[in-house]
Amino acid sequence: MQNFLQILVSGISVGMIYGVIAFGYQLTFATSKTLNFGQGEALTLGALVGFSVVTALIGMGASPLLAYLLSLPLVLAFGLAQGSAVEWLGVRQAMKTKSEAGWIMSTIALGIIFKNMAENIWGKDPLKFPSPLPENPISLGGVNIRPMEIAIVLGALAMMLAVELFNRRSIYGKAVVATSNDRDAAGLMGINTSLVITFSYALSSLSAALAGVLVAPVTLTGAQMGAALGLKAFAVAIIGGLSSGLGVVVGGLILGITESLTGFYVDTGYKDVPGLILLLLVLSFKPAGLFGKTAIKKV
Amino acid sequence: MKKTWLFAAVATLALAAPAFAQQGIKIGLSGPFTGGSAAMGVSMRDGVKLAVQEINKAGGVLGKQIILVERDDEAKNELGVQIAQELINKENVVATVGFINTGVSLASQRFYQEAEIPVMNNVATGTLVTQQFKAPDHKANYVFRNAANDSIQSAMIAQTVKDKGFTKPAIIADSTNYGQLGRADLEKALAERGIKPVAVEKFNIGDTDMTAQALRAKEAGADVVLTYAIGPELAQTVNAVVKLGWKVPVMGSWTLSMASFIDAAGKNGEGVLMPQTFIQMPSTPKRKAFIEAYQAAYKVERIPSPVSAAQGYDSMLILAAAINQAKSTDGRKIREALENLSTKIEGVVTTYDKPFSATDHEAITANIPVLGTVKDGRVVPADPKDLEGEKALRVKPKA
Repeated sequence: MQNFLQILVSGISVGMIYGVIAFGYQLTFATSKTLNFGQGEALTLGALVGFSVVTALIGMGASPLLAYLLSLPLVLAFGLAQGSAVEWLGVRQAMKTKSEAGWIMSTIALGIIFKNMAENIWGKDPLKFPSPLPENPISLGGVNIRPMEIAIVLGALAMMLAVELFNRRSIYGKAVVATSNDRDAAGLMGINTSLVITFSYALSSLSAALAGVLVAPVTLTGAQMGAALGLKAFAVAIIGGLSSGLGVVVGGLILGITESLTGFYVDTGYKDVPGLILLLLVLSFKPAGLFGKTAIKKV
Repeated sequence: MKKTWLFAAVATLALAAPAFAQQGIKIGLSGPFTGGSAAMGVSMRDGVKLAVQEINKAGGVLGKQIILVERDDEAKNELGVQIAQELINKENVVATVGFINTGVSLASQRFYQEAEIPVMNNVATGTLVTQQFKAPDHKANYVFRNAANDSIQSAMIAQTVKDKGFTKPAIIADSTNYGQLGRADLEKALAERGIKPVAVEKFNIGDTDMTAQALRAKEAGADVVLTYAIGPELAQTVNAVVKLGWKVPVMGSWTLSMASFIDAAGKNGEGVLMPQTFIQMPSTPKRKAFIEAYQAAYKVERIPSPVSAAQGYDSMLILAAAINQAKSTDGRKIREALENLSTKIEGVVTTYDKPFSATDHEAITANIPVLGTVKDGRVVPADPKDLEGEKALRVKPKA
C-alpha cells in the first residue's frame, strides 16, 4: 500500500506538469481552434528566463526561495509577451487567410526558432536550476515527497484555478468564454475577438512558462527540456479533450499515474505504452477526448 | 579604392587556401559538442586540440602541420554517418579520432572500414566497437580504441560488488545502445562471479522521474544499485534513490564522473563509485603537465570530463606516432604502423608500448583503470593508494 501511494504521488506530480502544458493547448484551442505547437519551447524559454533571473538574484545575495518568488512575475510577464508574439507572427495571418494548416507550420517554425535562440543564449548544456525549497524529502505517512513536488502540484492548481476564476467572474473573462462559444456571434456583439485570441495565446505561453519554472528545479534546465514534455502534453490534450480545462488536468493525471504505475507494477521498459494505447482508444471511441464536447462542424 | 582592397583580400585568400591544404595533414574529429553528451565531447575535442598544438609546435608529422576537421555529431547516429562520409569523401582525411557514443561509433565506422581509413575511438566504450570488423571475417580491421571498453568496466564493477560482499545488485540502465549493451556486459560479468541481479530496470533519455525504477529495485531487496546511463538521467536516478530515503551504495560505468551528473545530483551524488582511466590529479609528471596545459588553454579549473580529455589527447599522440612511422598518409600503411608501433609513447593515461597488434585493437587493458568516487563535487580515487608510487602508472601487460 505504501509503495502504491509513493508511486501515485510521483505520478501525480509528473501528471500535473503534463496537465499545465496541455492546459495551454486548451486555452488557445477554445478561442481560435488553433494550437501552439511550440508549447514545449515556451516552457523551455520560461525555465531559462527563470534560471537567469534566479541566478542573478542569488548573485546579489537573495536566498534561493526569495529569488525564485521574485523571478515569478518576470517569468510570467515574459510568457505573456512570448505568447502574444507567437500569435502575432504565426497565427494571425493564417487565420486571416482562413488557412487550414498555415498556423501549424508557423507555430512549429517559431518553436524551432525559439529553441535555437535558447541554444545560442544559454548554450546547449543542461543547467542546474537552484532549488527554492530544501531538496531533502519529507515523509508524509510513510510516503517520501520532495517539497518541490508539492510545489509543482499546488502551483499548477493555483494557476489553473486563477484562469478559470478570471474566465467566470471578470467581464474580460466573459469575453473569452463568449469567443470560445461562438466567435462570429461574439464579434457581432462588439467583442474584439482578435484581441481575445492574442490574449489566449499570451495566457497559454504563461502557463507553459510557469510549468517550466515549476519543473526546472527537479529536472535540469536546457534548450532540449521542452521537446519531450510538449509532446506528452499533446497526448494529454487529446486524451482529456481540447474543449475542457478540467479534462486536460484529469488527462494529465491519468497519463502521469498510468506511466508510474506501469513502470512499477509491470516493467519500467513499458512505461510509455499504456498511455499511448489509451490515446489510440480515445481517438477511436471518443475522438473529442474523455471530457470533450462533440461539436458538429458546419461548413 | 575600397573595391581594390576587397579584391586583393579575396585574391590572397583564394591563393592561400589551397596552398595551406597542401601543406597540412587532415585528421577528422567527430564527437558530440552539444546535447547531453557535450561535456565528454568538448573535453575530448579540447584534449585532441592540445595534442595537435604540441605536435605542430614540434614540427608536425612528416614535416607537415596537422589540420583538424571538427564536426559535431550531436550524439545522433544518422548525423555521425553523414559526417563520416563528408570527412572521407569531401575532406579526404587521413584518419579520424573521436566518437563518444557507442551507437554513433557503430553506425559511422563502417564507412572508414570500407575506405580503409583508420579510426581511433577515444571515448566510446561499447565492447562491440573494435570487434565489428575483426578477423577472420574481415581481412583488416581499421578500428582502434584507447578507452576502457564496457567488458573491462563491467568486470571491474562486478568484481567490486563481489569484493565488497554485496549479493543482490539491481541494475538501472537507459534504453540507448550504450545503456543496453553495457547492461548485457554487466549481467554477464556478474553471472561469471555467481551473482544474479535482483532487478533490471530501464528508462528513456529525457525521463525526469525515476521513482518507479528506484522503488522496484528497493522492493526487490537490492543491496547495491549499478547504473549504465549518462549524466542527467543518472542524476535523476540517484535523486530518486535518495528521495525514497533508501541508503544504498551506487556504482556504475565511468559516466558517473560526468560533470552534468555531479552538478545535477549535488550531495546526492557523493560517494558513487566508477572506473576511471584518468583522474584529475598530478600523479605523474606527464599528467601534471597535461592538467596545467589544459587549465591554461581553456581557462577552467575542473576539466568537465577528465577521462575524455586525457583519452582524446592520447589518441592524437598515438595516431601521430603511427603516421610518422608509416612515413605516409596512406590508410593501410597507418593501420600497419598502429598495429606495430615501435616508439614508446608517453601518454596521460598510460605509457603506450606496442598498444595494438593485428588482432588486438584495444590500448587499454583491465589493469589500467582505477576506481574513482565523487567527493565534494570532484572525482577522486576511491582508494588514494591506487595512484601512489609504482601504481600511479599502469601499463598494458606484454602479450
